[in-house]
Amino acid sequence: MKVQNIQNNAAEDALGVSLPTRRVESFHYTDLRSQLGTFASKAERPSEEVAKKLGDGFPRLASNAAVLHFYDGHAFERGEKLPAGVSANTDLPKAMEVDGLDDTIVAINNKISTDGVAISVAKDANVDRPVGLAHTFTGTSGTTASTRYAIDAASSSTSIFIERFMGRSTDAHLSSSVVAMDIGEGAVLNYLIVQQSGLGAEHLGRISVRLAENAKLNLFILNAGGKLVRQEVKVDVAGEGAHVEIKGVNLVGDNAHIDVTTVLDHNVPNTTANELFRNVVAGDGHGVFQGQIKVAQIAQKTDAQMACNTLLLTDDGDFSAKPELEIFADDVLCAHGATVTDIDDDHLFYMRARGIKEKTARGLLIKAFVDEVVEELGVGEEIEEAFIGVIDNWLDTNVS
Amino acid sequence: MPAVQETIDTVALLDVDKYKYGFSTDIENDMAPKGLSEEVIRFISAKKEEPEWMLQWRLDAYERWKTMEEPNWARVNYPKIDFNDIYYYAAPKNFEDGPKSLDEVDPELLKTYEKLGIPLKEQELLAGVRRHDELSKLDEDPSDNVYASGRVAVDAVFDSVSVVTTFKAELAKSGVIFCSISDAIKEHPELVKKYLATVVPVSDNYYSALNCAVFTDGSFVYIPEGVRCPMELSTYFRINAENTGQFERTLIIAEKGSYVSYLEGCTAPQRDENQLHAAVVELITMEDAEIKYSTVQNWYPGDEDGNGGIYNFVTKRGDCRGDNSKISWTQVETGSAITWKYPSCILRGNGSQGEFYSIAVSNGAQQVDSGTKMLHLGKDTKSRIISKGISAGKSQNTYRGQVSAHKRASDARNFTQCDSLLIGDKCGAHTVPYIEAKNSTAQFEHEATTSKISDDQLFYCMQRGIPEEEAIALIVNGFVKEVIQELPMEFAVEAQKLISISLEGSVG
Repeated sequence: MKVQNIQNNAAEDALGVSLPTRRVESFHYTDLRSQLGTFASKAERPSEEVAKKLGDGFPRLASNAAVLHFYDGHAFERGEKLPAGVSANTDLPKAMEVDGLDDTIVAINNKISTDGVAISVAKDANVDRPVGLAHTFTGTSGTTASTRYAIDAASSSTSIFIERFMGRSTDAHLSSSVVAMDIGEGAVLNYLIVQQSGLGAEHLGRISVRLAENAKLNLFILNAGGKLVRQEVKVDVAGEGAHVEIKGVNLVGDNAHIDVTTVLDHNVPNTTANELFRNVVAGDGHGVFQGQIKVAQIAQKTDAQMACNTLLLTDDGDFSAKPELEIFADDVLCAHGATVTDIDDDHLFYMRARGIKEKTARGLLIKAFVDEVVEELGVGEEIEEAFIGVIDNWLDTNVS
Repeated sequence: MPAVQETIDTVALLDVDKYKYGFSTDIENDMAPKGLSEEVIRFISAKKEEPEWMLQWRLDAYERWKTMEEPNWARVNYPKIDFNDIYYYAAPKNFEDGPKSLDEVDPELLKTYEKLGIPLKEQELLAGVRRHDELSKLDEDPSDNVYASGRVAVDAVFDSVSVVTTFKAELAKSGVIFCSISDAIKEHPELVKKYLATVVPVSDNYYSALNCAVFTDGSFVYIPEGVRCPMELSTYFRINAENTGQFERTLIIAEKGSYVSYLEGCTAPQRDENQLHAAVVELITMEDAEIKYSTVQNWYPGDEDGNGGIYNFVTKRGDCRGDNSKISWTQVETGSAITWKYPSCILRGNGSQGEFYSIAVSNGAQQVDSGTKMLHLGKDTKSRIISKGISAGKSQNTYRGQVSAHKRASDARNFTQCDSLLIGDKCGAHTVPYIEAKNSTAQFEHEATTSKISDDQLFYCMQRGIPEEEAIALIVNGFVKEVIQELPMEFAVEAQKLISISLEGSVG
């Protein structure tokens, strides 16, 4: 495929990685070549004092969590005790393979990652405390902060992880996170991503997951920050009876470009998947959702559903959705639905008729629209409440 | 499940080998030299007795085409096309001067039309051929109400030339111009100049540029203000000569408040090598006008191993220029080795409407990548997309559609439904929709499903005493019904027949 531009590109040169244009189908709505800033240097390891201050104003999401801290891409020992059944090795896991421009984020991450961690969840372990992976950024202009980790959930284990990105910088800085997950037979892995980067942050995330027989992935993505964000999810459904549950809330504010791209590869028979995304676009934000469901010829009896609903609040913003089905097996049930619309006038009228001010009514309707996703997560009240808190904060600042 | 097995068997039996339009007609051809060059374009233009401006336009398009690259984003695979191994012009020799009487018509050609079963075989219409420039008997019969008769005016295009256009005189009475595009260039240059390539620009895409350079014939329709076209218009395309590409060009203009329903059908002989068909169709509707464009595409699909068959690379686009205008595309795609076709609507006028109803049936080694684009530019524009894909054999069937609302397209409304039905486990069904909203009042809904005939549906029918085979028929018919009912009567019957040939067989 002829997609490569010969012309020099500052962003490309600075990173030393080829960047895709919009002509690369998987980057159709996010033109990294023209949108990505120029990032020439890795952020240095901040001092303990600086690091400590960075996290101010970002209260913990779960009081009983054991949190692994990364500041500007560097691991910091905070003496937190990991729950029983979980072990961590702080060596940088080996780089993931790159297969063409579709894996641009991995290529960038391989190039710039400084620290990482390899986490193992023991066989049959039932981990009740969440493991936090907290990333806080100074966000010095032109710098990168990047990490990579591997998570290996052994068979029949249950675990919960919260990956969080935090920052306040309005200067252009790049953060990146690549995670390789292996979920063993009958294991259940809950993975929750909360992205609250600063308004200057460009964030590139990738999760690559492989599921064994009867394994279950519960993934939740909450985007509530950043300037240019692309979160990719690639799932290899490789074991019969496996189930993938992906839920997401994308809050796209003024000036922000947020892209969530998921690819589900059903490669064996009898697997199920369910995806639900709710998006709110305010100001002149650009929202993107690309969801691909692939069903291989042998993957009979696949049941995969996907829905993506968007509230587009302004004429300055836009939202693009590409829910894709690629099916080679005949005995399957696959469906996707996508809607883009503004707040329903009838709903608004119902509330106005009951004496609720328009502004309040709109706020309530938007909140209800996205909170619904969080309330159904089933990861405990405390975490769900914390997520709703993050959403409320965003709504207060971005939706007037 | 035996019923499914039966369906698969039936499909196998009725495979593409049974293509019933696969005959070729042995008639002498007048051909341009093989290959594509400036000389060939000059040759075509001279053959068509075109004015100088047209030739220049073609040469300009050729220059642009040379700088362009073949698109490769569609989910289709085929060996690289050697554009110099194609005849760009082939005309049945005996027809060069136009048929003045039935006796002059090559009997082989008449037989062809007979085999095609197109309305041409009817004696009345053939009489129309004979009295090409005279009033037909029907015109003289005042008792004949053209509005109620349901007759169809036909333009038949054989390889590169329009062989015959019927009911011309009768249509002229209402001010409707219906002729081949070659005639239009000569007789109505002002209209052609004004509208040609205004919907699909010359360099819109690789194949549209190629078409501009070498297009040979096609239909031209002009419906004047306030006229409801008294009869259905129809074009029948057939590729006959070997190694020939067909590049037709259709231009339909519906002036303010007018209406026309246009039907298009296509067939080709069974040959081992691939033939190229790269058409451009442009529709323009002014204020309150409506065009209904229906296609039954049944080009030769190649054999079950994918040898031969037509490459159908078509650019079809409608432009709703006036307020409250409407363009409706209905297509039944059963043929072609490769289909690359996206009939689209530019909803420019406020309150304009676009519709796309499609049935795409693929079998054997066919590859279909088809869909639509609905571009909402005006206010209060509406569009509706219903796409039904049925894949069987080893075929690949892709729906690719784009719905977008421009910033100023307030209250744009779209509903999209694409359903795929898979028969057999060696085929593929894919859905690639692009939904782009830039206006908060836009309301877009998209639904897609992929499944086989469900056991529950079958069980429900059988429990009520309907035999398995009939139950499948019922379900498949139900599956495509929403589209079939959009077709004009004349085509609905043919379409149903075609689908049963491609698929059902036992179920008819």
